[in-house]
Amino acid sequence: MNNCQRRTLLKGLGGTLALPFLESDAFAKKATGKKETDAEPLRFLVVGNPFGMHPGNFFPTGFGRDYQSTPTLKSLDWLRDRLTVISHTDHNMVSGHGREISFLSGVLPTDAQSFPEKNMSLDQLFARHVGSQVRFPSVGASLDSGIRMSWTANGVEKLPITDPQQLFNHLFLNLTDEEKKLRKQMIGRNASILDTVGDQFTGTMNGATGKDRERLQQFETSVRELELTLSDRLTWIDRDKPKLELGADFLGDGTIRKKYEAIFDMIAYAFETDLTRVATVEFPAELNYTDLNGVNRSYHGCTHNGRGEDLVNELVAIESFQIECLSRCLKKLDSIRVPHGDESMLDHTIVLFGSGMGYGGTHSNRDLPILIAGGGFNHLGHVDASDNAGRNMPLCNLYLTLMQRFGIERDSFNTSTGTFTALGWS
Amino acid sequence: MAFAMRNVALLLAQAATALAVAFAITALPKTATGKESPLHSHCGDCHLGRDAEGNFKLGQIGSNPVNGDYLALSRSLERITAGEMPPPTNSVLSYPEKTALVNFLKQRLRNHPEQINRDYRLPPRRLNNREFENSVRDVLMIEDVGTHQPTDNLIGDSRSAGFDTHSQTLGFSNFHLEQYIASLRRIIDATILSGAQSSSQHYEVGPTQILSAHTSQNIKRPERRGRSSGFEFLDPKQLAYFGPFKTVPETGWYRISIRCTALDRGHYPSTETGVHDADPIRLIVQFGNRHREFELPDDKVKVIELREWLARGTRLRLRYPTDGLTLRGNGNFKFQNAIAGEYLKKHDPDLYQRVADAIVTKPGRRVLRPESWHHWVNYWRGPRPLVLGATIQGPFYDSWPPQRHAALLPELKPGDTVEDLLKPIATRAWRRTLKDGELDHIVKLIESNEEKIGKTEAFKEGLIAILASRDFLLTATEKSNVNERFASKFSLFLHSTLPDSQLIQQVNTNQLSTYDSVHAEVKRRIRAANIQPFLQEFPYGWLNLSEINFMSPDPDSYRFYHRKRLSEDMCNEVLAFFKHVVEQDLPITEFLEADYSFINADLATIYGVDDIQQDSRLRQHHFSDGRRGGLLGMGAFLTLTADSLGTSPIHRATFVMKNLLGVHPTPPPADVKIEEPDIRSARTMKEVLRLHQSEQNCAACHRNIDPYGWAFENFDSVGAWRDTYEAQTETPAKKRNRHDGPKIDASSTFADGTAYRDISGFRNFISTPENQERFARCFITKLLMYANGEVPSDHLEIDAILERAKDHDFRITATIAAVIDSRLFREE
Repeated sequence: MNNCQRRTLLKGLGGTLALPFLESDAFAKKATGKKETDAEPLRFLVVGNPFGMHPGNFFPTGFGRDYQSTPTLKSLDWLRDRLTVISHTDHNMVSGHGREISFLSGVLPTDAQSFPEKNMSLDQLFARHVGSQVRFPSVGASLDSGIRMSWTANGVEKLPITDPQQLFNHLFLNLTDEEKKLRKQMIGRNASILDTVGDQFTGTMNGATGKDRERLQQFETSVRELELTLSDRLTWIDRDKPKLELGADFLGDGTIRKKYEAIFDMIAYAFETDLTRVATVEFPAELNYTDLNGVNRSYHGCTHNGRGEDLVNELVAIESFQIECLSRCLKKLDSIRVPHGDESMLDHTIVLFGSGMGYGGTHSNRDLPILIAGGGFNHLGHVDASDNAGRNMPLCNLYLTLMQRFGIERDSFNTSTGTFTALGWS
Repeated sequence: MAFAMRNVALLLAQAATALAVAFAITALPKTATGKESPLHSHCGDCHLGRDAEGNFKLGQIGSNPVNGDYLALSRSLERITAGEMPPPTNSVLSYPEKTALVNFLKQRLRNHPEQINRDYRLPPRRLNNREFENSVRDVLMIEDVGTHQPTDNLIGDSRSAGFDTHSQTLGFSNFHLEQYIASLRRIIDATILSGAQSSSQHYEVGPTQILSAHTSQNIKRPERRGRSSGFEFLDPKQLAYFGPFKTVPETGWYRISIRCTALDRGHYPSTETGVHDADPIRLIVQFGNRHREFELPDDKVKVIELREWLARGTRLRLRYPTDGLTLRGNGNFKFQNAIAGEYLKKHDPDLYQRVADAIVTKPGRRVLRPESWHHWVNYWRGPRPLVLGATIQGPFYDSWPPQRHAALLPELKPGDTVEDLLKPIATRAWRRTLKDGELDHIVKLIESNEEKIGKTEAFKEGLIAILASRDFLLTATEKSNVNERFASKFSLFLHSTLPDSQLIQQVNTNQLSTYDSVHAEVKRRIRAANIQPFLQEFPYGWLNLSEINFMSPDPDSYRFYHRKRLSEDMCNEVLAFFKHVVEQDLPITEFLEADYSFINADLATIYGVDDIQQDSRLRQHHFSDGRRGGLLGMGAFLTLTADSLGTSPIHRATFVMKNLLGVHPTPPPADVKIEEPDIRSARTMKEVLRLHQSEQNCAACHRNIDPYGWAFENFDSVGAWRDTYEAQTETPAKKRNRHDGPKIDASSTFADGTAYRDISGFRNFISTPENQERFARCFITKLLMYANGEVPSDHLEIDAILERAKDHDFRITATIAAVIDSRLFREE
């Protein structure tokens, strides 16, 4: 592609489309010339907490689809055919706080140097795969503070947005003209650098032999692809974001239930409009849960319940609340049809709920509470993942299966020893 | 004696060569006269006909050179040299027979058209992240890429066979390119300053303005502040910062002075704190990735004076580096407070009692015993730095624009063009002389930007373009000549950065065209230049050190290893030993045969050594037990070859074979289902493996593999000596009472009948001249992999390097110089 054509492309894309229903769709066709005939892309939602789940009230008794439901999981009974609760899987960590941050990678920051992708979390790996096909590669949300769940490939923590109003602005509010101008300027500057490095040696590969040529072409291809990505971004800046009407009761003094409902509604809508395909929601330790029925103590305090019945009930109330929020969101996703077909969005969304801690009361980081829903898997109800020798399955095996389902071709992930074939994928 | 032996060998070799020439002109598999070639007679049994084993048929080696023939020849040669073939279980070659066979194959290789027309040129590869950072630093002539962590966004490099220089693995994508541009922009923004000069500020930081930064997700809890007596470091995980100087406001020079001292060293027993009394208490001042470490005097104020170029946004942090204060509870700091209680109970029982009596349990709360850490937080007197305050002055500038800015972008003299400014920069960056007009695009870019964003900013765009260009990001493109490629590679090999002007000068004037001159220059650079990148990265790659915690020992059974971060000491032991061999220019066989290593008090605990100074510094120590010394007794090797469940002689065997002897055991065939051993039913590792070997399929190979690993059976998962296995029980490791299990049998017999009884016998075996040579060949191969980013495939050229190294008794600088002077390195 020569200089002139590239310029035209960059210019031609700006500001032509207004208020599309689907963020990435029409745009994908025009910008890349690719047709969106592929199967509906998948979404990925992770919901996590820092203290795990009270095991007796979370893990069902009995295995298979007709498991005996438990107090914490009650709100998900409607979905029991389309979810899998996995027992006996973890990252083989010693007990104690501070290890739960390895939830989505199996790797602690202190050991990250041993792994090429450091302690990169699963959501960021998915986000990298999606790239700039959508406006936001990933969205992380929490309330008040985060639980250190998302990490980039360089072991840098990715902080969630901890205020629903901010999340709303980030997802749905358009940039001011000044902001747009600055961003476009920067993209423009990078584009002309690309022009320069792309043109510099074009057609001068004389003297380069076969193997050389291959590597040099790899570089040239990268330049061209990045140019397209930048022109994609330019388009995102000028196009208005989808509109979402939310009541005001999640603002200010709203209850945490209202606030989490708003967060999940925003995420569901972001999935529906293809604003993003990867989202994480966190339930932090410090949040004040006392506006829930029956909760008088701090979340952390409730986990140290000394098996006192009242305190356990308070803890279960907090944990049930988390699952209720999730359940409500899944119901919403299930009611949405995917843009290119008649299936429910839930069947196209891989949902992972869990924690990097097993149970705060014992400080155990073994037997993590893990739940998978949606995603078109062959769901199993309640399943025991330990092997014949009674050893727990590395949680990274499950992650590898999720990755493969998402379309990422890999055969290992950190501490994985294989895949979790029982889900009927890979 | 050795001399005489070598002479005999030489004579034999010559005779055999003469013999082999005769074979070489004849066809395979049978000679015209009906006599069999040595290849046929030794290998025909297994590698002929339809049932040929191991995917290799003698028929692949034709009478005339054909496609794939060359590869088959050199692969055969490799495996016969390494002693893998013919398998000793089937036929044992006598020394003359082996020599004849080897020479026969060599001769065929030497005359092969593919060998004669061989192209040594390697394709360019992407710089890895280390090389990128160092090279950008040297192009811009600054101390490092900056304190604002401008390269944090780069995608991590994967390793292949341990090395981060592997050409194929260092791929290039648009994602890489985008991150490079973002990173370069940040680096250059902190080097060339546009706009007006910022005025200098004075910051006075009192003790109560020093705060402990959040390490947990709990950002609502107020940060701990210093008291009027100073800021005390408690949890070593905590980072402190100066309230009035949270981040650097403007890029420039800063003068920072910090008043600090060390408190209570040795107040508690070091067995409880895990901090050695003899170690001075240290303080690290950290500006992004730039760290300055200081030893603090006890109870005496030290004033740390720093003058640093800091980039806007840099976070200044203070840290207390220690691997101690983790022995209690799960390792989190709070549990250590219990030590304070125990100390008071013994030394101030009245106070202890008062505190114990004052404990009130609130209704509905847990009952906490007096020993519990909760009560003693305010009585903590562990070893710790105390910071009293600081003053900061800055930014200031030696001139305006600052020197580093003017060095790249000086005032234009009349008649000078932008191109004149760019030329030296691009020459450094692209590691070659420029051709006419090559900078036209860059000049155009700058000119087209000038009006919009001003001259300085436009020039910066040009710099970014030079550094985002393929001739910077890829090594040795087709535009560079032989000399330029050699200089660049030489420098990447030793320094992981672009060549300095002296090196370029030497190469251009043919001062490095002989082995002797290369040898002298390598020795000179070891003495006088920064070869830290080589001293660190080569052993890391060679011995796969980055994988030491990939399958770390079980945290419950090996608490000490985890709590005191022994993996760091173990890797440092390897590095110290490697550095010693390089600096003393010892023979590389020292790695296998030395009776010493470099250990500190923590490693001594693992190794069972007690007559050593109780601190964390590594010192040379001679072992008299015949078990340790050199690589084979090092915790790093023994740990990284063990997995979390236990040790495996197979893992250790393959490590020794691949990384020390250059033998590549065939991996199990894909259709073999490997049952995971159920460790609960079998008793000893030998029995576990015997079960495995009863399978005829597995046994064939394992007879040749396992003997390389049994010798290490007396070393447990972290490399500590053991005479018996630990008894296996159903109870979790934490609650288990350790008691002795079955006795360990570390003896083994190789397929050719060589036997050893234990590790010291194995050490004798590995020191035979034949094994020394295998080791040297392997070491040379690893050096070439690090330098070339691919596995070298020219057997004859490696032979030549080996011979030269051998002539110098395998001294390490001679070995390195022989590698650098080879055609495989010079690529010509």
